[in-house]
Amino acid sequence: MSQTLISGPHTLASSTVSRTMLWVMVALLPATLWGLYLFGWPAINLFAITLASALLFEAACLYLAGRPVQLTLFDGSALLTAWLLAMSLPPWAPWWVGVLGSFIAIVIGKQVFGGLGHNLFNPAMVARVALLVSFPLQLTSWTAPAPLFADGSPGFIDGLAITFGGLQIDGFSGASLLGEVKTEFTTGKVLSEIMPGGMEYSGPLWGHTYGSLGETSALLILAGGLLLVTIGLINWTIPASMLGSVALLATLMNLVDPEHYPDAGFHLFSGALMLGAFFIATDMVTSPNTWSGQLLFGAGCGALVYVIRTWGGYPEGVAFAVLLMNALTPLIDYYIKPRIYGRDRRGNPLTLDKVEGDHRAKEGQA
Amino acid sequence: MSCADNKPRYRELWGEGLWNNNVVFSQMLALCPLLAVTGTATNGLGMGLVSLAVFVIANLLVSMLRGVIPSEVRIPAFVLLIATVVTLVDLMMNAWLHELHKVLGLFIPLIVTNCAILGRAEAYAYKNPVLPSVVDGLAMGLGFTLALVVLGASREIVGSGTLFANAHLLLGSSFAFLETTLIPNYGGFLLMILPPGAFIMLGFIVAGKRVLDRRLKADHSTQTPQPMSC
Amino acid sequence: MIGQGVLKPSYTQRPGFFAGILGMMAALAGTLLVMGFVATKEDIELRAREDLQRSLAEVLPAGGYDNDPSADFVDLPRGDQPPLRIYQARLGEQPVALAFEQAEPGYSGDIRLVMGVSMSGDIIGVRVLSHTETPGLGDKIELAKDDWVLGFNGLSLTKLAEARWAVKKDGGEFDQFSGATITPRAVVKGVKRGLLLQREALGAAQLEALQIQSSTERMEDKP
Repeated sequence: MSQTLISGPHTLASSTVSRTMLWVMVALLPATLWGLYLFGWPAINLFAITLASALLFEAACLYLAGRPVQLTLFDGSALLTAWLLAMSLPPWAPWWVGVLGSFIAIVIGKQVFGGLGHNLFNPAMVARVALLVSFPLQLTSWTAPAPLFADGSPGFIDGLAITFGGLQIDGFSGASLLGEVKTEFTTGKVLSEIMPGGMEYSGPLWGHTYGSLGETSALLILAGGLLLVTIGLINWTIPASMLGSVALLATLMNLVDPEHYPDAGFHLFSGALMLGAFFIATDMVTSPNTWSGQLLFGAGCGALVYVIRTWGGYPEGVAFAVLLMNALTPLIDYYIKPRIYGRDRRGNPLTLDKVEGDHRAKEGQA
Repeated sequence: MSCADNKPRYRELWGEGLWNNNVVFSQMLALCPLLAVTGTATNGLGMGLVSLAVFVIANLLVSMLRGVIPSEVRIPAFVLLIATVVTLVDLMMNAWLHELHKVLGLFIPLIVTNCAILGRAEAYAYKNPVLPSVVDGLAMGLGFTLALVVLGASREIVGSGTLFANAHLLLGSSFAFLETTLIPNYGGFLLMILPPGAFIMLGFIVAGKRVLDRRLKADHSTQTPQPMSC
Repeated sequence: MIGQGVLKPSYTQRPGFFAGILGMMAALAGTLLVMGFVATKEDIELRAREDLQRSLAEVLPAGGYDNDPSADFVDLPRGDQPPLRIYQARLGEQPVALAFEQAEPGYSGDIRLVMGVSMSGDIIGVRVLSHTETPGLGDKIELAKDDWVLGFNGLSLTKLAEARWAVKKDGGEFDQFSGATITPRAVVKGVKRGLLLQREALGAAQLEALQIQSSTERMEDKP
């Protein structure tokens, strides 16, 4: 009797960890390259050293934990974490900010929880917040864009001196838009005095403004984010609810008092909101599983961002908001569970009668 | 302490208090004052010594009064005793150790809520004679002090690059030699001095102790088979 | 453990017995506390006085006075606010300088200052008593972190025009810190307010009147 071997009825999904990470990096690439071009050699140095040190720390942790180093090291997760962290740093920050940030993100933010998939908080944002709290001066020293090869921009040697030697060049530093407005409010000025011509959108849209390395160009980040949504790597739920809740709150407060509360456009296109909504809050490990849970999560992030920006101590609150909602994720997943096959939403088994009844009803319709 | 002969074993008490059953590193108790005051080694030492005094006096009083206190009302009685001792210590520090009191002031009344002290009163002093109870209080208090100093020192080194800063305020000017600057021109790593830094550092220290314990145990079991103690 | 296997007298099981024991212990504890309080009361007051003297000495001319300013004060009524306590330094009987506290809202919460002003209106010293500004950014107003606060020494409203009492960003004379403008702005504002207060509300005659009034009040307080 001859037997033919037939493989089990399993489908292989094409998505793997490294494939997912790769696509996210592809989506990040335009905004990153543009940011590196705009902020020149110091930004390239910082970006490179942040990524390199993250790989180093990841390898060291895997070795200490006795896990296969090569297999996990190059799945791209550590690289992506460091990438997101670097994008949220001031472009001319000194080298040790990047290295220390990588250490906090990889070792404290991820590996002590047990590695990829076990971390409660978004590692890149853990590092970002830890750095901001510890080194407020370095983390709020923004630079004006000084594109590569443009007149007056630091060359390669000067770039090295800025990143590694602590060289300070006058005339480039300034305040981010959010910080500027917040500071001016404290002197009792109103919006029409701070921005007499209304909001200038071309800067934040294209990235010609003071801000972090990779978050200044809202348009390129939006494009990358939409790519991820289109290929189905992330759901539209979190970005939509996060941006939506910020826009809603901003519009409401703006209607109440336009002189003290900037409009929705100001909030949507400044700071780290775009990057946060598409690339950071959507982190699969630290966001809820269900669609309704994700909607709640995104809305919570957005509301916190608005509250922190408007009434908080810091001008920008995306990192804080995402971390706070990360802490709520297990709770959201506890109360909002996906329906299990063969059971209703509460987890009770469907009775056979009901299933048959549904069946008959459907046939009747047909 | 389930030995049938009920003889106090002082060696064991010291080992328990300082290492095996350390209030912080093993029992994970008293974290509130621990996290709040360990910004520098000096503050940790100060808080540790104050708590040590309360450990010893509370154990002494509870052990002395254990024949009088009915077990039905022992918990309120313990709390009353501990609160009295803490308040007296607070007043005396304010009067005679004023500089330290200014730094720790807010946290001294909180020693009342240090569950480790209530825990020792309940678990040991209420069931044992005076002398072993005092030794237990000393051991536990010293263990707690050790934890505070270790955590304070490591946070201070990473956070501000110094060690035992302002020690002369606590111990008198003759101890000013303890004050060292380990990393000159250090900008400071603020997170470590803020409460989250205490959690992170405590996590690393506890992990370190576990690793050490496991290594010690492995060494021990390969060399001599442990005799079953009671 | 206690009394196991031994038959206890029945009264030890009554609630009244427990209450009595607890009551006795509470009475004992109360007695101890009263004793402790009485024993330390004087020393605690002395320490508080020493603290005050030390912070006043920081902002008053060293060796330029021979009285105890912490005991020589006037309470200046300020409308609905609590009265401002003004300490006076004297050489002989002649007043040489005044010291008082000022509070000004900073980036997060009030910044409490103590400042000393000579009778001619020159600042002798300014110190920050307490603040909750961002560590690493706004805390350069502490003398322990930065000597910025010494920049006020010797200035007065006549030496520096009123409009120049601001940080450089606002067109004034004083440095702001990189990354923090609000904190130094608040301190400058507080110091300027203190000087205006000294100049306007504390005309010599008025001060003298207050002085007589408060010293007679204090005389009456004494038994």
